[in-house]
Amino acid sequence: MLEASSLTWLAADYHLPATYSCRVPMSSITSALALPAPGPATVRLALMRAGIETFGLEYVQSILFPAIRAMSIHIRPPARVALTAQVLRAYKAEEQPYEISEAPISREVAHAEGPMTAYIQVPRTLQDAFRQVLGMIGYWGQASSLAWCTGIQESVPPLDECVMPLRLLQGQARLHPFFSCILSEFRDRSVAWHEVMPVVGGRVSHVLRLEVYVWPLTEVSQQGSGRLLVRQAFTVSRASV
Amino acid sequence: MTEREQNAQPLYEVSVNVRVAWQAQSLSNAGNNGSNRLLPRRQLLADGTETDAHSGNIAKHYHATLLAEYLEAAGSPLCPACQARDGRRAAALIDRAEFRNLTIEQVVRGCGLCDTHGFLVTAKNAASDGSSEARSRLSKHSLVEFSFALALPERHQETVQLFTRTGDSKEEGQMLMKMTARSGEYALCVRYKCAGIGMDTDKWRLIVDDDQERARRHGAALTALRDCLLSPQGALTATMLPHLTGLQGVLVARRSTGRAPIYSALESDFIPRLCALASDSCSVSSFDTIDEFHAQMGALIDTTRPALPAACHATDPQPSA
Repeated sequence: MLEASSLTWLAADYHLPATYSCRVPMSSITSALALPAPGPATVRLALMRAGIETFGLEYVQSILFPAIRAMSIHIRPPARVALTAQVLRAYKAEEQPYEISEAPISREVAHAEGPMTAYIQVPRTLQDAFRQVLGMIGYWGQASSLAWCTGIQESVPPLDECVMPLRLLQGQARLHPFFSCILSEFRDRSVAWHEVMPVVGGRVSHVLRLEVYVWPLTEVSQQGSGRLLVRQAFTVSRASV
Repeated sequence: MTEREQNAQPLYEVSVNVRVAWQAQSLSNAGNNGSNRLLPRRQLLADGTETDAHSGNIAKHYHATLLAEYLEAAGSPLCPACQARDGRRAAALIDRAEFRNLTIEQVVRGCGLCDTHGFLVTAKNAASDGSSEARSRLSKHSLVEFSFALALPERHQETVQLFTRTGDSKEEGQMLMKMTARSGEYALCVRYKCAGIGMDTDKWRLIVDDDQERARRHGAALTALRDCLLSPQGALTATMLPHLTGLQGVLVARRSTGRAPIYSALESDFIPRLCALASDSCSVSSFDTIDEFHAQMGALIDTTRPALPAACHATDPQPSA
């Protein structure tokens, strides 16, 4: 375990220039709900993917991965997020007999105003490498969920504006209809490389765990099949927003 | 290698950020209400307004169709599924005996379309009765990514048109159907990660080491992208081919490892914002007309080749200062 003094927080702002769709874990593929922003496991996997593109597989496996699996992560969602259910066409595969047909599916799609910020706590010695990797992340979740990193600073996360597990929500926080959902996170800090980068034919173990998280977002309106969420700090009363 | 190929500049990634004006179109729809009304696609924006939307799926589908034609014309290989324009691409081959042990090398080397637009062969467990074998997942992400096209809320109108159509049989006679014709300016972003051509992008490992073949695929992808914007395709174009009345925006070309900035044309200042990001590694050029766009895309097609990621030629990768 690294000493806290050897670690630093990096905050990366992402502009989400168009619509995006990160699926809520466990929601049906044929009726998928969308997250207002990516969850912690998505951030770790994106760091690995972007790291491999930047530095190659061996460097990520030996140098960056131990930090990626162990780092603290906080995610501050955009200031406003609109979610709309879209009907799309998808292929549906039947195994017996093997047939492919087209079927309509529903998938929520999000549109955001304001940057989404990912906070990661990294060893100071790897700060430059992680700055490059954060700058390389070009999408969250689906590849069509375009993102662009507009800036990276050293900054401590404002915890009352970041998504957090329900079990950690302060008891004295005022009760508001905060948006909540299941998110995935790495099982623990000892997740092995081969579990997240399975080799062909390898058996994948349960590398992710699921937990209920609460977002600092409240629903302010519904229009048609859409709903609008606005960021609200956990510790700020509704009257003052 | 020709002189042009030798002089071509490496290109890592391109982003196209545009406002495109389409009149009287119905390029993307959400379905229908029974048999008498076609429903337009709508998206709620974060400012609380609801606007017309054009799915990225349909834009990507037409880019892939066009790309297949350009690849064939250029002599690049296509797999049997892509030759037949099967949208499943490599996944359509897995039941054939000769493709049972399909590998990423085989797909990327043997098909320019699977290489550029990606594919997904899903993993499968073996059947308990032994009737089918287990299968590992095999995939490549798409290198061309389209956003939804979103209408600028204050620059968009819709007209409901009444059409007649024939029923399923002669006895049903003539039936009425309402369809919307939408007009407006749409914000659209496209990203093309050229450096991924001929690569296994899960491990960023070069598979197609023939520079000329990579250049052919790259040229075809850019040419298809140019055509997609200059000749709109989508739903209902047989009878409602849109009038393209304007195209303005910014082309961002990143030469070395990194992301090409991408910024929504819903923002009124998107052109100066993007132009301010020009640097030694990133050229930014704006255009206000379709011919300027055509010329700038032509220059990219003629003078660039796909770059290799830093990880491919660095033996001891180190973060730069």
